[in-house]
Amino acid sequence: MDDVSVRLRNLAKSYWRGSLEIPVLTGIDLEIPRGGYYALMGPSGSGKTTLLNLIAGIDRPSGGELEVCGHSLNGLNDDELAGWRSRNVGFIFQNYNLVPVLNAYENVELPLLLQDLGRAERRERVLHALSLVNLTDRMRNYPRQLSGGQEQRVAIARAIVHDPELIVADEPTGALDAKNAEEALILLEHLNQELGKTIVLVTHDPKAASHARFQIHLEKGVLDRTVEVHDRPVLPRLLT
Amino acid sequence: MRFLTLVLRSLFRSKRRTFLTVLSLSVSVFLIALLQSLLGTMDALTTSTGSGTRFVVQDKASFTNVIPQAYTNFLRQQPEVERFTVLQWFGGEYKDPKNFFANFGVDPESYLQVYREEANLPSIPLEQVRDFLRDGNGCMVGRALADKFGWKVGDVVPLKSSIFNLTVRLNIRIIFAGLRKSDEMVLAFNIKQLQEAVPWMKGRVGAITVRAKNPADIPRLCERIDHHFANSAQETLSITENAFNLNMMKLLGDYSTMVHSISAAVLVAILIVTANTMAMAIRERTTQISTMRALGFRSGQILSLLMAEGLLLSLLGSGLGIALAMGVASAAAKVAGQIIPWMADFIITPETLLLCVLITLALGLLSTFIPAYRASRRPITEGLRAL
Repeated sequence: MDDVSVRLRNLAKSYWRGSLEIPVLTGIDLEIPRGGYYALMGPSGSGKTTLLNLIAGIDRPSGGELEVCGHSLNGLNDDELAGWRSRNVGFIFQNYNLVPVLNAYENVELPLLLQDLGRAERRERVLHALSLVNLTDRMRNYPRQLSGGQEQRVAIARAIVHDPELIVADEPTGALDAKNAEEALILLEHLNQELGKTIVLVTHDPKAASHARFQIHLEKGVLDRTVEVHDRPVLPRLLT
Repeated sequence: MRFLTLVLRSLFRSKRRTFLTVLSLSVSVFLIALLQSLLGTMDALTTSTGSGTRFVVQDKASFTNVIPQAYTNFLRQQPEVERFTVLQWFGGEYKDPKNFFANFGVDPESYLQVYREEANLPSIPLEQVRDFLRDGNGCMVGRALADKFGWKVGDVVPLKSSIFNLTVRLNIRIIFAGLRKSDEMVLAFNIKQLQEAVPWMKGRVGAITVRAKNPADIPRLCERIDHHFANSAQETLSITENAFNLNMMKLLGDYSTMVHSISAAVLVAILIVTANTMAMAIRERTTQISTMRALGFRSGQILSLLMAEGLLLSLLGSGLGIALAMGVASAAAKVAGQIIPWMADFIITPETLLLCVLITLALGLLSTFIPAYRASRRPITEGLRAL
């Protein structure tokens, strides 16, 4: 089995405004190993979110090759891509993006509804995911009844409930206060270290990026440099 | 089924909006159900059971004029004629002017034969028929009318007519159960009472109803009769009973076009309202829909979930509207049926119910499809940015 989780070759992405081509990413070559924890950094407009969207399979490149979790995404149609995402990718958004009419349990269950699982197995997995984020006691609460930190933990549980190989997080701490942001980052790091998830994180925040093992810096749509993080915070063991 | 919770919760996400949309849908369905049923009831009136074989001979100038009863001599000679009867609108009131119902002077024996379907002749006990034919003051009334006033066989009913300035006292000899309730809202008595008491009615009748042996002969017969009495002192106009009834109904105007136009206007209005509501409900969930698609929901699944929501909304509106319409129709038949005889048959037919359900399903599909389709095809990254 390939040890590379994300492999990008000469990846490019452009947008069109009428007849005007606006390049967003150019000539991206990148390999992220399975179980890697990478932070995408760079100024606004550098293309980090676009790169994350391409890796997550919710956007399509204009050129180059894109291989994620052992699948080439270039040739997949929309439905195949949706199926691939449902099996391989967990999403964490800045604004949590929970479904407001579903409670915490039902939100976490959502990705499992796309899989051929019985109610009992879904329940077992949801409860396990909720226990990992320490929210079992709030599972009947609706998003409006949860704090921002709790909502993000529900979103993290939703991202891991179907046991994806890759977790993508777009500014996951952007809407959180310092304490909750730190908790969310510690949780992500545990998912990486103890469950072996590959994590790609987009952030502006150097503190958030310091939890990653590598920081990839983008500048004007080009990969500027990759920096290994040496002085990462020491983690207490949380997950089992 | 595993998505039912999501569909239901999404539908009732904004309870007030859903309630108001369901209410507006139900009012529309209610209106359409009532209007279409009214149309159906009025149309049915012009096509009663035996009316296909009958036609009416009346004065050419106006159906309110009387014609000589002797005209029947010519009718008797026509081989295509099976039977005929004479009748005269009496316009009598029972105790109070509010107690309005249809009452006629008729020739009892021929009347029972010509209107045998409406009177359900085989079901009338023979002794009642015999009493009605023997008693010059006898009358026959429909079951619904008898029930309304609490009449029973043997009761005496005084009827006062302002047209003839005459009060008749009639003995109820027959209470018949007609095939339709509207057929039961009628009283018929011997026309001789009228002809003997009112000098200008002597030898005259309001109309002659003719029963042909074969419906195909009716046009030829009508033409022959009218031709025969052309250039006489009182020319005739012979028309089928359906056409006669239709003429009566047309006094109300072109009701069919009117009803269809109102129904169409209601439909267009509600389509716009529902489409706007659904578009709004879907647009405000752009991020949620894109998130679900990012999680792996296919466009087709998203489209199905949103369509299910729209259909459910329509069905709720439809159900409530139909329930309201059935309640009102039943009340209208009871109340209005006592004043307007044909309203006694006013019901929401299964065909109208089906029409309403189909219309609301179509409304649900039409109003939801475009915004749902657009939402399901919108680029995920674009939807995630739309906060």
